[in-house]
Amino acid sequence: MRKVLLSALIAAVPATMALAQSAEEETAKARRAFYTMLGYEMGGLAAMAQGKVDYDAETAKAHAADMVTLTTLHVGDFYAPGTSKDDLPGATRALPVIWEDMGAFQEKGQAFGAALMELNAAAGEGLDALRPAVGKVGGTCKACHDDFRAKDF
Amino acid sequence: MPSGSGEQLWDPVVRVLHWALVLSFATAWGLGKFGPDQMTLHFYAGYTVAAIVVLRVLWGFVGPQTARFASFVKGPGAVLRYARHLPDRKPSNTWGHNPVGALFVVGVLLVLALQILSGLFADPEDYINVGPLAQYVSSDITRKALSLHEPLSTLLLVMVIAHIAAIGFYRRWKGEDLVTPMITGRKKG
Repeated sequence: MRKVLLSALIAAVPATMALAQSAEEETAKARRAFYTMLGYEMGGLAAMAQGKVDYDAETAKAHAADMVTLTTLHVGDFYAPGTSKDDLPGATRALPVIWEDMGAFQEKGQAFGAALMELNAAAGEGLDALRPAVGKVGGTCKACHDDFRAKDF
Repeated sequence: MPSGSGEQLWDPVVRVLHWALVLSFATAWGLGKFGPDQMTLHFYAGYTVAAIVVLRVLWGFVGPQTARFASFVKGPGAVLRYARHLPDRKPSNTWGHNPVGALFVVGVLLVLALQILSGLFADPEDYINVGPLAQYVSSDITRKALSLHEPLSTLLLVMVIAHIAAIGFYRRWKGEDLVTPMITGRKKG
């Protein structure tokens, strides 16, 4: 009986350690939450652009403004070292090349930011103005995902 | 079986589908690799490929003899027998797909079907290039589809190169012209 209890205890220690989150895991989680929120707002605009929901200027402006607000966050800490897919398999799809070529990665971010400014200006100006602006922002999503994000965990 | 006769080897449906596939696959592949980030045209090219594959499979059941799967898909015995004579420096004079080529036909249709499905279900999370069926399945599946789509495109490129290399091998080594019948429908007499 004592043996059973002892081995259960020994088995429980690494299991408990695995449950505790490292700082890196917290970072990856925050980063994904950031993109989840960006995606949530973008999804609302894309649904309008694709006619899945009716266009509404106020709602569109709010979505775009929220995306702009999100990009004002200090995102540097979301990209702390040691938080790539290789470091945290299963927790993130961020490829190590982000940290190896931070300049190229930041260029993708700047392209996104520029397209987002156009989207923000166009969002309230009718569906015909919204659609190409959504397309352009989506294109910058894709361009970055192509190079810097793994297709699967 | 007649080889030099004026009889029709490939019916017009097989030929039109073949060359339509060449065009639409090249378009889809090129746009996927080098095209704009807004991939609308890639989608249309992919839908065209899908329609061609569906039609070709149906034609494989209801078309004329050389188009039918039942007439050219052979067992391992026939495949090995044909493969043994592949290095012979003379025309095979097969009327239709030979048993080894049949494996390629079925293989390329299968890989194309997989590629079409992976495209339809893929979600690159860019809100503009989302596969039309991605919304009906879980994100696990959309990610699997996404991660298959590019490797499959490489596999298809390799298959196209192998196909062209085989045509070249028949022309140069075996002295058999396989291109003309796919254009005119008839073997050169």
